[in-house]
Amino acid sequence: MTDINIYEPGYEPGHEPSYEPDLSARFGSIYLKNPVISCSGTFAGGIEYNRFFDVSKLGAVTTKSFSLKKKEGNPSPRIWETACGMLNSIGLQNEGIEYFVERQLEEINNLGADIILSIFGEDVEEFKKIALKINPVLKHLKAVELNYSCPNVKAGGMAFCAVPENIKAVTSEIKSVIDIPLIAKLSPNFGSVIPCAIKAKEGGADAVSVINTLTGTAFDIDTFKPRLANIVGGLSGPAIKPVALLQVYQLAKEKIIPIIGMGGIYSWQDAVEFLIAGANAVSIGTVNFSEPDAGEKIISGINDFLVLKNISSVNDIIGKAL
Amino acid sequence: MKLLQGEILANKKYGENLFKLEVFSPYICRNCLPGQFVNVKCAFGRTLDPILRRPFSIYEIDKKFNVFSILYLVKGKGTDFLAKLDKGDILDFIGPLGEGFKADEEIKNYLLLGGGIGVAPLCIIAKELVEKGKNVFFIAGFKDETFFVWERDLIKIVRNYKIFTENGSFGQKGIPTVYLKENLHRYKDYKLLVCGPKEMLRSVQGILKSFPGIPAEALMEERMACGVGVCMGCAVKIKKSKGGFEYKKVCSDGPIFNLTEVIFD
Repeated sequence: MTDINIYEPGYEPGHEPSYEPDLSARFGSIYLKNPVISCSGTFAGGIEYNRFFDVSKLGAVTTKSFSLKKKEGNPSPRIWETACGMLNSIGLQNEGIEYFVERQLEEINNLGADIILSIFGEDVEEFKKIALKINPVLKHLKAVELNYSCPNVKAGGMAFCAVPENIKAVTSEIKSVIDIPLIAKLSPNFGSVIPCAIKAKEGGADAVSVINTLTGTAFDIDTFKPRLANIVGGLSGPAIKPVALLQVYQLAKEKIIPIIGMGGIYSWQDAVEFLIAGANAVSIGTVNFSEPDAGEKIISGINDFLVLKNISSVNDIIGKAL
Repeated sequence: MKLLQGEILANKKYGENLFKLEVFSPYICRNCLPGQFVNVKCAFGRTLDPILRRPFSIYEIDKKFNVFSILYLVKGKGTDFLAKLDKGDILDFIGPLGEGFKADEEIKNYLLLGGGIGVAPLCIIAKELVEKGKNVFFIAGFKDETFFVWERDLIKIVRNYKIFTENGSFGQKGIPTVYLKENLHRYKDYKLLVCGPKEMLRSVQGILKSFPGIPAEALMEERMACGVGVCMGCAVKIKKSKGGFEYKKVCSDGPIFNLTEVIFD
């Protein structure tokens, strides 16, 4: 008889685990080996974090958002720490989509990681031009995430998410150019994400990422100056988790479109909370900065939780709280 | 770079709000170059505030006993936490980070100028330079007597140094940049290394305009999140050789930059 360690996670009398739970996530036409993804802009291409853990273990790595041309980003200071969170105004600094196609894609491929490419354009034409540039490398991508929180230049710089109809237009245009699952990343800064999610679905998106950062600011009371050179920044981290969770929950109840839940996830417990609130997968962002091996820990935490609860598949907990 | 944990061997009070934290870490001691830094978690376990790690340049390396140290001023939530740590506590940190300092073979003389806590990375650089047989002149400037005890560390590294304090509480009363402006013509065959507040760096950059032949590097500081080159939070504006500018990351492209190429907005 083998020894049974009653302190091992998963042990319950009479319920010795004889299986590894199925962590795979399937939604829309997307298949991921597990539901834990890295958020765009918090993981670069994964090269740096691969020094801390094997990033190919992640469900997918979402790249930094790429524009058509290189973008320098905002002046410093670009970040400011807040209570249980941080403000950032990086200004979408990136090397341009050609850099991704010609250099970074191969580097991430070499890590063995599954890739979600994040892109943004200042109008529908730019989005389309980027789509055409990535057409030859689509087979290397799991999906393309469309960052709809960026300013729409044609609409006076207002974010695409401010006018849900724009989301439908851009999504369907891209869908007509490239044949790959599309994820619309939605902003929480214009009320409920539901109208945007409906339009994303109508435009042909496979899923939505909910939520992007919440806008905020901070001031220095000694100098009377803003803490961020750009004044406005995006708030992320555990401070925004309850807001994100509610957006996910309310959207999931409507059963419109699969959801990748994100916003302040710091532990596997947080991830499970998003899954039971109706997210089909989760994405981790700010936590990567302080705990560079968080991805690995969150995946194994979800796994152990399922074993402990004697649940055979992560799909069985999705939407349990609805 | 690695995510590491190390036992704290001492947390010595050097002065009002000034501490030296000594940590056991064979990995850092074997792999660290002068000018590199560690990104330190300033909270216990799952505490979420402060949420970001704090970058500290490495102050000393003791390869014999595998102990490195950081010198820090208590200024906010992060350093408040550090000041409360005791011998035997475990420090969680990532390092070594950043591009380290490499001495220039061609240059024999180095002038190091540190303002406030900016003296910390310059001390380990000075030690390296002295060991390489370079001639080092160290200038330090402080507001008050906070760094009085620190001078004992400096004496062990360099013989030739000058300390200024704004209130004259120790060293010479005055400001190091004023001294530099009046005396830089005597250091034309020196390389200048500067670390300190932005106003000081800007002022030195101005002084250097009259001495275009003197090479100068600055160790820059910016608020950081990841410390490993991912978040792009710690950007500094750097002149491009062909005109225009680009943003470089203090954490991974720096922290050492050519001072004449830095654009201070």
